[in-house]
Amino acid sequence: MSAKAATASAPGAGAPPSGVGYGEIFDRGYQHYRGPRLGRRQAFRSLVGYSIKRAMGIRKSWTAKILPILLYTAAIIPLIVMIGISAVAPQVEFASYSAYFAAIFTIEGIFVATIAPEMVCPDRRERTLPLYFARAITRSDYVVAKLLATIVLTMTMSLLPAVILWFGRQLIADSPWRAMQDHVGDLGRVILLGILIAVFLGTTGLMISSLTDRKGVAVTVIIIGFLLLTVAAQSGFQVVDSEWRRYFIFLSISDVFAAIADHLFGNVDSDLVDVAHFPLWAYLVYIAVVVVVCILIIRWRYRPQD
Amino acid sequence: MQTGIPEPSRSHPQPSSELGRVATAPVIEVRGLRKTFGSFVALENLDLTIPRASVGLLGANGAGKTTLIRTLLGLIAPDRGTAKVVGYDTQTQGVHVRERVGYMPEADALPSSTTAADFVGHMAEMSGLPARAARQRAADVLYQVGLEEERYRLIKGFSTGMRQRVKLAQAIVHDPELVFLDEPTAGMDPRGREEMLELVERIYRTMGISVVFSSHILEDIERVCDYVVILDNGRLISAQPLGGLGEIGGEVVVDIDGDRERFVSAIAGRGVAVRQSDSELGVREIVIDVHDEQVYDLIRDTAVEQRVALRSLRQRSRSLEDIYLGDVGAMREETHVG
Repeated sequence: MSAKAATASAPGAGAPPSGVGYGEIFDRGYQHYRGPRLGRRQAFRSLVGYSIKRAMGIRKSWTAKILPILLYTAAIIPLIVMIGISAVAPQVEFASYSAYFAAIFTIEGIFVATIAPEMVCPDRRERTLPLYFARAITRSDYVVAKLLATIVLTMTMSLLPAVILWFGRQLIADSPWRAMQDHVGDLGRVILLGILIAVFLGTTGLMISSLTDRKGVAVTVIIIGFLLLTVAAQSGFQVVDSEWRRYFIFLSISDVFAAIADHLFGNVDSDLVDVAHFPLWAYLVYIAVVVVVCILIIRWRYRPQD
Repeated sequence: MQTGIPEPSRSHPQPSSELGRVATAPVIEVRGLRKTFGSFVALENLDLTIPRASVGLLGANGAGKTTLIRTLLGLIAPDRGTAKVVGYDTQTQGVHVRERVGYMPEADALPSSTTAADFVGHMAEMSGLPARAARQRAADVLYQVGLEEERYRLIKGFSTGMRQRVKLAQAIVHDPELVFLDEPTAGMDPRGREEMLELVERIYRTMGISVVFSSHILEDIERVCDYVVILDNGRLISAQPLGGLGEIGGEVVVDIDGDRERFVSAIAGRGVAVRQSDSELGVREIVIDVHDEQVYDLIRDTAVEQRVALRSLRQRSRSLEDIYLGDVGAMREETHVG
């Protein structure tokens, strides 16, 4: 790669202007960078954006995009169909928010099991972590960026379709604008529940993923773990016959969110939720504790290895 | 600073911002650095000033090279002492250090399912460059390391040599003032190694980026470095310009006609280190250390005084290997005796 400058006249181009050759090839040499350096903030933004793209399979092979596309389709297409049917047949009952959140929870769980391992496992498995920690970020920045990327991406599944549902319900009303004003409280509750689900599932999914460098193991543990906990909660609830059985609800994540949906929207049909009958703050404290513990575990996993 | 080190053909630009204050400062300053891992002492009371240069960090496996690099990057905290890199304290200003410094680790550290251009561009952004500039820099730097054609291919299809080049590209994509290269030729075939050494040489001489080149291969360091830092068991053995090693620590081999023992005793009696050793051809040689030019006069005067004829006087520079083996050996002996 020694410095070279060669000229090659383009065929039929005629004589070049004096001193300048058509098709002239220059060695670009090495140019120093003299532009702005945006520091840690830019590094953080880049890490969040890059992590989201990678988890969605963007700029990866087409096979990496299949599952996210299928899950988004599964979450959004039924909503659009429902809105369409309600528009042409107003007598058809729209799904309640509680029913919708209960129905989509499994899809959200699978979605998190797909994206959370993709966020952190390859960095550890392919030993890219030292390269990240040698850039303009701290270890805490790395953890926060990965958490943010996971939660934001999960919100596109837990929040976006729910907001579409809210809009759909208002749009088929006789007076959509008036309906929106009347039901703005519902929108706030939809956003609250969507964010809670995203924060909880995103954080727990990322915590489990941070414990292994194998994506397959993380995916399996997340899905099987959630399923086993739910089965354990339901079984315990059926078997135990005392006041204490109401506490089994804290093992079943889907039932915890069903209980929260019941507080926010009502209309939840679940024995466990009915029997548990905890106030809303109890569920919120439970979520906060689990999220904090998960964050501490993730932080511990990325502590300096002195 | 007068270092005796050749300047690069193009000096690194000195921004008008706060970095201007370190324009003439040494690139690395270490004072009393100590780092232990349990009972193992990785770095022991290190004092070191490294100028802007192509610096070889030499030492056997376990000598403390990687620990020193990780400490200088602010990735691990020393037990004691301070370190400044490109003018920033590694403990309190680690992010600033890493913004201005590049790092190429020894281990394979590349994602497989991404293209070289994507990954190197992302690493530029991770050093604070805006997205558009990062993409442009990635393309330029991949051209510089000879991967222009392959930049849109997935890294998983790359050979070992190409992967090393991607690692090098990500280390310099943000145009750092200093780049740490940890064993960059490890595991490469002779041709790939040669190409990598050429690239490393260009980083300082053409690009004007100071280099700290960690290796246990003396030949590689002799080939591309102007300055050498030798570590052994976490201790600093030597830190000096490489070009000066022969002059400072050179020897002359003297061949005489006459009483060899009397001549050697007379030289030694004047306080000059002298020894007799067998050459590779089995010939007994008188080897005299040359610590300054007056030693030549002293040899001539002693020959006259002892009435011996000087048949030949041959300069023998100490290679880096001599220095390494001699200094490390002396240090180990000293430690053992102590």
